[in-house]
Amino acid sequence: MQSLAVVSSGGLLLTLVAVLILLCALACLGSKLFDRYLRYYGLQSILLAVAAGTAAYLDHEPALWVLCALTLCLKGIAIPYAARRFLVRRLGLKRDTGVTVGLSVSLITGAGLCAFAYLLLGSQPLAHGVISVSIIPISTSVILLGALMMVVRRHMVAQLVGWLIMENGAFLAAVTLTASFPFIVEAGIFFDVIAGVLIMLAMATGLAEQMATGGGLPARAPE
Amino acid sequence: MILLPILASCLPLLGSVAGLLTSRAQPAGGIAVAAAVGSLGAAVAEAAMTGGGTPIASAGSFIYVDGISAFFAITVAIVVLLAGIGSIAYVHAQQVRGELSPNRVRAYFVLWGLFAGSMVASVETANLGLLFVLVEACTLASVVLVAIEGRTSGLEAGWRYVIISSLGITIALVGTLFVFFAATALPGSPEQHLTWAYLVHHARQLDGTGLRLGFLLAVVGYGTKVGLVPMHTWLPDAHAEAPSPASALLSGALLNVGMYAILRYVVIADRALGPAYASHVLLTFGFLSVALGALFLVRRRDFKRLWAYSSVEHMGIIAIGLGFGGVLGLYGALLHTLNHAVGKAVLFLAGGTLVLAYETRQASRISGVLSSLPVTGAVLLLGSLAVVGSPPFGLFISEFTIVRAGLAAQSPALVGLLLLLLVLAFIGFMFTTSRMVLGEPKGQQRQPYPGRLGAVLAAVPILLGLAGLLVLGLWVPGVLNSLLMHSVEVIR
Repeated sequence: MQSLAVVSSGGLLLTLVAVLILLCALACLGSKLFDRYLRYYGLQSILLAVAAGTAAYLDHEPALWVLCALTLCLKGIAIPYAARRFLVRRLGLKRDTGVTVGLSVSLITGAGLCAFAYLLLGSQPLAHGVISVSIIPISTSVILLGALMMVVRRHMVAQLVGWLIMENGAFLAAVTLTASFPFIVEAGIFFDVIAGVLIMLAMATGLAEQMATGGGLPARAPE
Repeated sequence: MILLPILASCLPLLGSVAGLLTSRAQPAGGIAVAAAVGSLGAAVAEAAMTGGGTPIASAGSFIYVDGISAFFAITVAIVVLLAGIGSIAYVHAQQVRGELSPNRVRAYFVLWGLFAGSMVASVETANLGLLFVLVEACTLASVVLVAIEGRTSGLEAGWRYVIISSLGITIALVGTLFVFFAATALPGSPEQHLTWAYLVHHARQLDGTGLRLGFLLAVVGYGTKVGLVPMHTWLPDAHAEAPSPASALLSGALLNVGMYAILRYVVIADRALGPAYASHVLLTFGFLSVALGALFLVRRRDFKRLWAYSSVEHMGIIAIGLGFGGVLGLYGALLHTLNHAVGKAVLFLAGGTLVLAYETRQASRISGVLSSLPVTGAVLLLGSLAVVGSPPFGLFISEFTIVRAGLAAQSPALVGLLLLLLVLAFIGFMFTTSRMVLGEPKGQQRQPYPGRLGAVLAAVPILLGLAGLLVLGLWVPGVLNSLLMHSVEVIR
């Protein structure tokens, strides 16, 4: 189990946070309530901010502190708040009715994906000079779980959260593995995500309102 | 020197400014078109500057323009220009009919500028991280354009588009990360590890496993933008639901931007892993796309969806050209991106006139366009013939070059399959469009454009585009030829 080897105590903290981030993704997948989706996502983003902060501290990268603060404020607080306020509360959403695969089956599939990510990447000596080697399979698992969520849930809010979880997974890898990743790129990615969320929120609201007046779930592609 | 790429990508933003200032389609569109002319001029000047083989590079290679960039920038700028002229007519007509509120017209031109600017900017960077950021920006700017008419079906198409594209682009980000990891052992600063020129130069020292994975993820991720099967599912809905000039921009320009991103990765992979790996990946996706695209062309009822599936098919052909490789394959693939871009811009813009005149996208309810709207009908017929690859139009030349590349690459079976699928595509495509264009006029139709100016503005880009396709089919101008050869040299 060479991949579980941890380089330093900072690396240990990072691994721990990464595992918690993975658990948040699994918790989301195992839930059916919109409120919970957003709560777990918010928690995951706060943990991501902790990860970014740890990486910033270990690598002495002042730019990462900025990302840490942005992650905490925007992803950890603003996005879940806005989604709850403008989507879940305003439209009176409670229970996700667009679950195509049962919760236990999706959780088992999710666990399988994590195992797959670990088998595929656990022993790859990919990165050089990284703080914690186990981040690669963990962040890949988070990305896969987010993708799974987008696939097995048909509701817009669930798909949105699935995408956000994927993005968090990619961000975890970008921030912690490659503290040296150019800041301008990381910042660009971050603002793309924010703009994406705003657009998705606007579209989801518009769609949900039209559905409410026109009736019916969004149909499949009209041929 | 450095001014040119900045001009090319920032000029289209003038259209956004115009959209903020006025909610009338004609002045805003006029400024957008003027900006597009400037942008095209800057792109052509870039091509002239980089012709000698020295790329324009600055700001730590965040801005990087070589032959490939210049070629793609010109392609994008041409489509932006043609579709921009078409948009003045289309949006004005929609506004007069009361189908687009003044605020939506404003939003249309604001997003138009952002979309065009981010597309040109995407092809002018060779920093793989920034490339990702800009391609994602293209998606975000275009999503709202797809849904701008405010129909439920449009919103649904936009939603599917943003979700699938974001999923894909996140995969591309993971691919970018893996390529970055593959380079971490190299000397040099981290910024250089994302710089394309540096990666190409040090390709042999890259970590093979990481690069293999990164390349595959990047092809899948950016392939989502390109519309390669099986990541194409957003494409028909978005192309059908968007206002027609925006469909032209999606099909003619955005798909090529995705192809540009893939091309950059292909060059790295070819140098590092040998040509076989990237070639196999591209041929697989290419043939899947051509096959599915061609099959879905048969008996399509919605003509904009028909053209969208045809885009899937053509993107597959380009991927196959890149997969066959060699001077012929690369040359044919690049030429095909330009030909397809112009051809699709012509078709979608002509389609805009049809949508305005018949208020339907159902092909079965449209007949005899040639006699009721002679210019549009003639352009539709000739444009369709051009897009399915019949001589004497440009797409015939580029498809023929790709077929020759396949024969040169000693894969006659694949060439045979490709030709068979092209014949199928020809039949499926022409069956629907010929019945729309020819025959007795039937069904209700109204005057598509409220004034003479609108009708002229709608006719100009489609006639220009068709003339361009004809020229490209008869002879590849020397300047273009040297630009293409130079790009091929960069890739090889």
